Amino acid sequence: MSKKVAIVSVAQSAGAESKDNFYDQAYRVTRECLDKVGLSRDDLGTIVSASSDIFHGGISCANAYYWETTGAFLKNASRQDGESLFAFMYGVMRILSGQYDTCLVIALCKGSENPDNDACTLMFGDPFYHRNLGLTETTAAALQMRAYMEKYGITKEQCAQVAVKNLGNALRNPFAHRRGKYSVEDVLGSAVTAHPLTELQVAPKSEGFVAMLLASEKKARKLTARPVWFKGYGSSLDTYFLGDRDLLKTELRNAAVRAYKMAGIKDPKKDIGVAEITEPYAFQELLWCEELGFCKPGGGGKMIEKGITKIGGALPVNPSGGVLANNPYVSRGLQRLVEGYLQIRGEAGEHQVDKKVKTALAHGTHGYAGQCHAVAIIGV
Amino acid sequence: MSKEYRTLKTEIRLPYELSYGPVWTRFFEGLAEKKIYGTRCTKCGRVLVPARSFCPRCFVDTDEWIEVAQTGVLTAWCYVNYRYFGMPTEPPFISALLRLDGTDVDFLHIIGGFDLSDFEKARKIVKNGMKLQAVWADELRGHIMDIRYFKPL
Amino acid sequence: MGRPVGIIGVGQTHHGRRRDVSYPELVREAVLRAFEDSGLDPSDIDGVVSGTMPSMMEGVALTHFYFADAMQGVGKQIMKTETCGSTGVSIAHTAYYWVTSGMADVVLAVGHEKMNEGDAQATMTTVAEPFYQRYFIAGAPGVFSMQSQMWADRYGIPEEKIRDAAAYISVQHHNAAFDNPYAHVKIRVTPEDVKNARVITYPVRLLDVCPTSDGACAVIFASRDKVKKFGRKAAWVRGVGYRGEEYFFGDSDKGLWQSAAQSAKQAYDQAGIKNPRKELDVAEVYNPFTFQEMLFYECFGFCEPGGAPDLVLKGTFDRGGELPCDPSGGVLCTNPIGATGLIRVAETVLQVTEKAGDRQIPGAKTGFSHAMGGVDQFNGVMIVGSRL
Repeated sequence: MSKKVAIVSVAQSAGAESKDNFYDQAYRVTRECLDKVGLSRDDLGTIVSASSDIFHGGISCANAYYWETTGAFLKNASRQDGESLFAFMYGVMRILSGQYDTCLVIALCKGSENPDNDACTLMFGDPFYHRNLGLTETTAAALQMRAYMEKYGITKEQCAQVAVKNLGNALRNPFAHRRGKYSVEDVLGSAVTAHPLTELQVAPKSEGFVAMLLASEKKARKLTARPVWFKGYGSSLDTYFLGDRDLLKTELRNAAVRAYKMAGIKDPKKDIGVAEITEPYAFQELLWCEELGFCKPGGGGKMIEKGITKIGGALPVNPSGGVLANNPYVSRGLQRLVEGYLQIRGEAGEHQVDKKVKTALAHGTHGYAGQCHAVAIIGV
Repeated sequence: MSKEYRTLKTEIRLPYELSYGPVWTRFFEGLAEKKIYGTRCTKCGRVLVPARSFCPRCFVDTDEWIEVAQTGVLTAWCYVNYRYFGMPTEPPFISALLRLDGTDVDFLHIIGGFDLSDFEKARKIVKNGMKLQAVWADELRGHIMDIRYFKPL
Repeated sequence: MGRPVGIIGVGQTHHGRRRDVSYPELVREAVLRAFEDSGLDPSDIDGVVSGTMPSMMEGVALTHFYFADAMQGVGKQIMKTETCGSTGVSIAHTAYYWVTSGMADVVLAVGHEKMNEGDAQATMTTVAEPFYQRYFIAGAPGVFSMQSQMWADRYGIPEEKIRDAAAYISVQHHNAAFDNPYAHVKIRVTPEDVKNARVITYPVRLLDVCPTSDGACAVIFASRDKVKKFGRKAAWVRGVGYRGEEYFFGDSDKGLWQSAAQSAKQAYDQAGIKNPRKELDVAEVYNPFTFQEMLFYECFGFCEPGGAPDLVLKGTFDRGGELPCDPSGGVLCTNPIGATGLIRVAETVLQVTEKAGDRQIPGAKTGFSHAMGGVDQFNGVMIVGSRL
């Protein structure tokens, strides 16, 4: 039995708010993903979706609502709550089981229908302690940012550079929600949210219907001339109490180690061609780069200053604009993977990186100050 | 028995704003005109109501619009005599699945137009297979309750 | 098919109204018992998959964060599976695929619910979108009432016979709960009590429906090599199946319930089962409503369509009958929704490994577990056996 799974097709919707109906949008993205390789709904083996009822228009049991839009009528399908990269991995598992030769992985999150992100992230907290202190992902990130800057001497300018880079990259991404040519001063001068975070350093609330078709090796070769292969995956979960954690040593390290081991990656800086990282707070891109082993701990600031992570750099990070440009909360992880796939296939249009990409890394994170991480590696 | 530990009473209110999109905007505006719209799947020929953008089984766009009949036949019903979040009207009321004439799926709504206060009396009137007719509300606002209820014919 | 997958430990809480513990403590109770039962250590676990009902139920979202420690999931790989009422079985499926694919060797599955902390009916009503269906879905009872009408009409089953059979089932399960130390509702009822209980939505009455329970369940899945290495008696996963129908309640015929029939068939095909009533030794069917339980027996091929009430009254599905159904007392006596489907799996595991105590069905070798979710929308099945 083959141990290989490939991505053969992807589709995504624009991140900007739309007055379109959730149900219809989901159908169209599924349709597009299947049509690209001429796969009919009848031939589709299984489906794994990602959504989260708190980010779901006040409609609970999320996948009940959109079940048939993903082609799942009278099929065996399932759902991951929260992190769409979990759904990707579950899809990989279903194919590796040998029971299905195709799997649609689809993430659904319509920002325009939901309250502000932090009205929702407040709900991750226990109702007795963290919630009463108003802990949200933003206030937790602010705590983490201050600790990060103070420990390593990372400057606020270095953090702002992430926003400058990503929002600038987004000008070349037709699906991005927020984009623009900003200076470091613009970013630092934008409205303060939770100090030291400013508005342009905090991700927006976007729409994201993101679909990806997986296939077994045999089927993949029938569906496309250029499959992109699953190489590795790792996830990890940190302890719940914020005060129990070292906010500068997150479980991203473990998630990355697991993914690298599976993918046979020895030196991430060299072995990875492009990285799409989830950075809902600008400084986190620097911290996550360190935890992914792209540079040493505390080296994130220098790394961005040297231009290593810009679109023409040695290790481009978030050529799509990342989550600062487009933040459909649940779908953002899978969207990173879609972007990685496009880069490998040379189909990223105007935000295609210059060098030839053979291996891409996609990262997703949720929870206070990155309590939970997932890393996926794909390549040719 | 074990000690009575504390409990915390709390309420959460989260605002949502949902988009109708083109297909449902047209369906609900149709209700404000006392029209019930369905769409037909050209592959399987089924007429789906409320109007849909695609057929779940054939997985193709359904853009053939049909104004469906306002009469139908009762498939199943349920007499509800308790208050709950989301209820359509003060209980008692009767939720129902009914097959509008010429359509291929059951439509969910309520039966009314007669005295519902006594369940045993209502039971004598409401029978699966009975014919029903839509009755419109006085005030129309593009809402599912623009159909006030379906009354027995 | 992928690698063989065994189940080597189960744990569940004493289900009920658990004001004595906080929600994370409730989760931990089940997890500790699973480790005790299996003899394993958290360091033996590669990954954790958890799930529950929507966040409105208890007012906490993405609960795997809050329960990371209670589940011993810190530093572990994590998945979060949720499919409404069928969550428990979907969680079991996730663990199964995780191991059978070779991506993990030992996975802890955890389902949990503390429904008494929230408004269950309101939460379930929010499954329906607010444009159209939400007004008319009178919580779960209304939907199941309509479904049982459709079933009765289709097969021309007289109302009196259904009522008698439903009452029979209710009595059986309420009695069975006394032999299950974890069950929630333990009351003695007579058929007359059931037939004359307060009407909720006709024809469903109080003793025909499940309670609102707090509870959690944990199940440990392992590869064959690990089962051997740990030297534990395992139940083996022989088949899995799952199907979902359209979101709109009126779109598919619920009296002829395709998702239920097909999900069972998928599992039977995988397990090589041709005659369920003969080849299964025990079934834990998702039965929050007595009427619907009979429809499930038919969909799963335990009897002919329309034939369930007669066989129920003959005792075919009693503890001592040809195919004992829900010897645990079932969902009718215990329903912490996010855990319920996983409890069904756990109960069949206990049966086929001969660890079901006073509720043991003697000689049980093959067990069928099932859960339903959404507005009569999803059905999931898992079949376990004492041998592969």
